[in-house]
Amino acid sequence: MPAQNPVEQLNGRGLSHVPRWLRIVVIGRNPKVTLARAAVLAVLCIVVFKFTLLHIRVEGISMLPAYQDGSAHFVNQLAYLWHEPRRGDVVSIRLAGVHLMYLKRIIGLPGETVVFVNGRVLIDGEVLDEPYEKLPCDWNLPPEKLGPDEYFVVGDNRSMPSQDHKFGKVERNRIVGKAVL
Amino acid sequence: MKIVFRFILLAALAALGVWLWLVLFPGPEKIIRKRLTELARTASFSSGESDLARLAAAQSMAGFFATNGEINIDVPGRVQHTFIGRDEIKQAVLVVRSTLGGLKVQFPDIKITVAPDKQSAVADLTVEANVAGDRDSIVQEMKFTFQQTDGQWLIARVETVPTLS
Repeated sequence: MPAQNPVEQLNGRGLSHVPRWLRIVVIGRNPKVTLARAAVLAVLCIVVFKFTLLHIRVEGISMLPAYQDGSAHFVNQLAYLWHEPRRGDVVSIRLAGVHLMYLKRIIGLPGETVVFVNGRVLIDGEVLDEPYEKLPCDWNLPPEKLGPDEYFVVGDNRSMPSQDHKFGKVERNRIVGKAVL
Repeated sequence: MKIVFRFILLAALAALGVWLWLVLFPGPEKIIRKRLTELARTASFSSGESDLARLAAAQSMAGFFATNGEINIDVPGRVQHTFIGRDEIKQAVLVVRSTLGGLKVQFPDIKITVAPDKQSAVADLTVEANVAGDRDSIVQEMKFTFQQTDGQWLIARVETVPTLS
């Protein structure tokens, strides 16, 4: 008795009218292997896109010019597994969950004092070099002393009045990950 | 084979039973989640709303709150308001609905914690509001405190949560 094609074995006569090449394209030469591959791919997708990379879409102009309004990016949730957030990192900050988050840049680290003088940022009295800030800023804000678990975050676009910009101290547990890509 | 079939049937029946139980007797978290979805729907409106519809919506909104329910909005440098009691809340809703041309409210993230005695609960949520004509949406984290009164979950307190301080 001649050996039956695995595709035919699986589908019996139900798919006999479907051209062989189409069956191979859709379910492969060996359906069991295809199924196993699909399962591995599904698990991989869940692990990558649920627990590692979060897809985000930027809404608003607070991170201009580095992050354009409407642009799509990813947030690496494992970025701070081995080390703590660093100055200059662009991070996503959760509100009640991760469906809507803030995208900001870290300028102040725990224990530091942050102050804005004529648009320049001073960390513990020293001027912070900010090559990413391209737009004019004239903010003058009182010093903010950060706690042992607090970071100071702000957008790159500080051309608007400070009242119209969301920034300030954020607790470490609110930082979801680092923006990548 | 017969045993396997019986086992599968039994498992399916058990799953159906659990599902039916959950549908017929939902837990506090599910009820509160549903109330919040209804609240968001009631708070949303489009332009051209009649006075009667506005009044009905305000009445309905106030009905989500306990008699002495409180709304405390505090966004430093922007807005600071406190409304206490259903009447004040109703008036506030009327003012908002007659001032704005339309509003769409959503709660994309809701995290509910029910107290061990199941008489109160706290919902931490993100409010996303889109005002008609405005391109940018308003995003604010808020905390809703619920209390069970006469078998109903009513909002005792609403307050803003400062994500960035």
